[in-house]
Amino acid sequence: MKALEIRPAAAARTLGVAFGVFVFGAGNAHGYIGPGAGFALGGSMLVLLVTFALAFAILATWPIRLVVRLIRVGNPYKNALTKRVVILGLDGMDPGLTTKFIREGRLPNFQKLAERGVFRPLDTSLPSMSPVAWSTFATGTDASHHGIYDFLTRDPCTYGPMLSSTHLGSAKKVLNIGRYLVPLEKPRMKLLQKSQHFWKLLGDKHIFSVIQRVPITFPPVPFKNGLLLSGMCVPDLRGSQGTFSFFSTESEAGKAKFIGGEQTVLRRKGRVIRSRLVGPDHTVLASGGRMTLPFTLTIAEDGGSARLEIDGAEAVSLKIGEYSDWIELRFKAGLGIRVSGIAKFYLISVSPHVNLYMTPIHIDPENPAMPISHPEVYAIYLAKKQGKFATLGLAEDTWSLNNRVIDEKIFFDQAMSIYEERERMFLDAVKQSKSGLVTTVFDTTDRIQHMFYRYLDPTHPANAGKDTEEWKDAIGQVYERVDALVGKVWNLIEDPNTVFMVISDHGFTNFRRGVNINSWLRDNGYLFLKDENRRTSGEYFDGIDWSRTRAFALGLTGIFINRKGREKSGIVAEGAEYRQLVQELAQKLEQMIDPATGKGCVRRVAISQQFFRGPYRFDAPDLLVGWEGGYRNSWECATGQVTEEVITDNTRSWSGDHCVDPSIVPGVFFCNRAASEEKPRLIDIPASVMRLFGQEIPRYMQGRMILPEEPADATVRGMLDPTTLEQSGAAPGALIFPPVERRASGQS
Amino acid sequence: MQTYNDVAGAIFDFLLAPFGHDFALFDLVLWPAVMGVAALQVYKHVSNQRAIARVKKQISMHLLEIRLFRNDIAQVLKSTGAILVKNTVYIGHNLLPMAVMLVPMVAVMVQLVAHYAYAPSRPGSVELLHLTLAPTASVSPRDVSLKLPPGVTLDAPAVRTADGQVFWRVRAEQPGDHVLQVSVGGEIFEKGWAVGGEPRKVPVKRLRSWEALLYPGEAAIPSGAPVLSLELGMNVRPLAYLPDGELGILIWAMVLSMLAGFALKDLFGVTL
Repeated sequence: MKALEIRPAAAARTLGVAFGVFVFGAGNAHGYIGPGAGFALGGSMLVLLVTFALAFAILATWPIRLVVRLIRVGNPYKNALTKRVVILGLDGMDPGLTTKFIREGRLPNFQKLAERGVFRPLDTSLPSMSPVAWSTFATGTDASHHGIYDFLTRDPCTYGPMLSSTHLGSAKKVLNIGRYLVPLEKPRMKLLQKSQHFWKLLGDKHIFSVIQRVPITFPPVPFKNGLLLSGMCVPDLRGSQGTFSFFSTESEAGKAKFIGGEQTVLRRKGRVIRSRLVGPDHTVLASGGRMTLPFTLTIAEDGGSARLEIDGAEAVSLKIGEYSDWIELRFKAGLGIRVSGIAKFYLISVSPHVNLYMTPIHIDPENPAMPISHPEVYAIYLAKKQGKFATLGLAEDTWSLNNRVIDEKIFFDQAMSIYEERERMFLDAVKQSKSGLVTTVFDTTDRIQHMFYRYLDPTHPANAGKDTEEWKDAIGQVYERVDALVGKVWNLIEDPNTVFMVISDHGFTNFRRGVNINSWLRDNGYLFLKDENRRTSGEYFDGIDWSRTRAFALGLTGIFINRKGREKSGIVAEGAEYRQLVQELAQKLEQMIDPATGKGCVRRVAISQQFFRGPYRFDAPDLLVGWEGGYRNSWECATGQVTEEVITDNTRSWSGDHCVDPSIVPGVFFCNRAASEEKPRLIDIPASVMRLFGQEIPRYMQGRMILPEEPADATVRGMLDPTTLEQSGAAPGALIFPPVERRASGQS
Repeated sequence: MQTYNDVAGAIFDFLLAPFGHDFALFDLVLWPAVMGVAALQVYKHVSNQRAIARVKKQISMHLLEIRLFRNDIAQVLKSTGAILVKNTVYIGHNLLPMAVMLVPMVAVMVQLVAHYAYAPSRPGSVELLHLTLAPTASVSPRDVSLKLPPGVTLDAPAVRTADGQVFWRVRAEQPGDHVLQVSVGGEIFEKGWAVGGEPRKVPVKRLRSWEALLYPGEAAIPSGAPVLSLELGMNVRPLAYLPDGELGILIWAMVLSMLAGFALKDLFGVTL
């Protein structure tokens, strides 16, 4: 038998058929490759085509765009004092605590930053809370110009609560097809914040900005020449500000053991548990209800882990005491539509009870159900570049720790994993931006201080029955982490043309006692219940007699007057009656004494109509209570409830706060250059950035330039003197500065 | 090779054309779609799905990068370069599944071509019979002759070339499945010719090399024979709404199988 004769031509053709089809497109043979090559060829050719088309279009039009830009705005950096500004926002970073840790040698990079430039307290906004303060940062105006006074405000038509920053509405035009409601338009979303962001002004002048996670930027407002990832107030997939889920075989009288969140009692059959994850509302189904995803949890034989299989997702192994990675949850909305979210799971225990915690379902950044960035693809880009990341505005799940569904370790691990995502994102933006503005805000510092502040105060009421040792350095650890971040940024910006600032929107103080202003208003004859035999109300003013009530409190610092013409059932007339009432309330509140200590608990009450001058002052709470350190509106007061007691101990894990008089909780201002103003304010930052880029400060902005335009103006430099702080860093009850030092500084 | 052709031919003669050869659309839609699904399964289990997903994600990330940083020319060029590199990596990840898919895909497509690419010649038509001698054959073109069956006549004398090729113009006088006999140095080689009648699987080429696998309509020429190929020009079968001919069917099958694959990839959880 003769050996198989192979003709060179046929052999070449075979090779061509097998592997050369990408190069040699002609001839019949390539068809035989079929789908295998087709998949690769189709995909690759498309990618190459798009790439070259895109690159060519961009490169070809670049000179034209350059000329147009030069004609329209000239060289955007012509008068700039710097080429690049990097602002690292650390929500809630406290100047007193920072000073303490610097003195202990724990923050070498902050120390270096202060020594080479400046470290001063940064005056915060009124009221001193993040949505207000960061809106002031974004717009360069106070609350009466940007219209954000709190997380919540009341709906004057119903007295019910509504988000101050965002209106989220469903599509009004829908097509009703049997059991389906097909939306004919996008859901209505609107940022309620007024004024305009300073990065928009920079963009108009062709100065590029990368804005990451600055609070109150949802929904994102489009602007030229920049990228933005929304921060605080981005909802979860359910539309809430963060609803966790807790699955447990443990129950009390057949009901879930804990309160808050989405609670599910599990039934165990051997090692297998079957249940459902609850997702967003069905908006496509006429019958409504919630979308759900079935899942199966199989406990491993050794009891150390479990296998979680969720419909439509890859099965994952959960180990006790460890978070899973982000898991994509794809809910079926009907009509072939799927809504995508992401969540992490934490297996708390399997014996004697199975306890499984799931984070709120975040909007999937890679497949966002609603826009969370500008342009919309920016979030997708980030997700593709660094993997899925937390998108929820209040991403760290303080609620579940507050309700003790999870413990400090689970919360801390969660917060730090979110921190790491943001650090990657921020450092990448700094590396990528050789000019323009890069700004990011980290919430970790704020959340950890809120939840771990009690560890600084051995006598804190919230310590009862809780650990007081294991996590007592949690705040210090977070400050060290952000110090390391400052070091990394410093290494990336070692050039004279970069201004690097580290700022915080406010500082921190103790939250030992909660005051229910609604109860105080009741006791003082300003607020009445419909049932005169009762002294308490339900949430959100359930049971309030509006025909007699003159004032009520909602949120964290605000008191509203039941004004005629503004509130639905307003009874207080404008003019003298109104003015007299607010004066009377302010005086009485400033004299409020805590019977437990015999000391006053209000430092100052701001009357909005006197304090504010902006166009939206009419929407403000009429009085803003500036609490002394250690006090805050009670939890019940924040939700419009009237309780029996006026002042009660705060026993929750949320044990530190900043919703007090702003003078007590300034933020921090670090800069790698000396400053020209001794008392920088948060409101000055956007104005200063405008000047750094050689732009005029718009007249509506209320801030000023705080960095030197001339070398001779660089007069403010070096470390902060903590004795200049009103209270920050020496909060009542909290052992922060050693007593000797506090005496020496003259602080009580 | 011949055994394979016999077995595959028997199987596909059974599978294809269950409604007769008149209804080509059925097979030409069904089998490429089935191929697409089968290819998906092969792709899913043979390829490195995680690596493919990762590199695809990187490619789309760089594409977005070009769009987002379009005013930064250095970044645009960097991203473009990165895409080219990642695209090469992507193609690299496709080589193994492509090689694995090659054999079954070729087998199906070859049978589709054999059944549907050509039509029987019309009675009265003239076709060219072309014989190529093997370069190693000891036979001269002068020693090659043709014996025609009843119903087939020679339209012109044979043309012989010095490089071992012989051509005959033959006329189909009557319908039928004729067998032409070519004598090469006394050794007889048969060549089928389908003339008239219903559409059916028609013989086109007889080959000696492994390429006979691509033309299973007739038996392969035994290895060692002095003849390399024996080919009869055949009419392309018109397929009403589909691309016709050998190339047309190949392209159609490839495109349809790809479309089926892309359409069903999510259903089968495959990353392409």
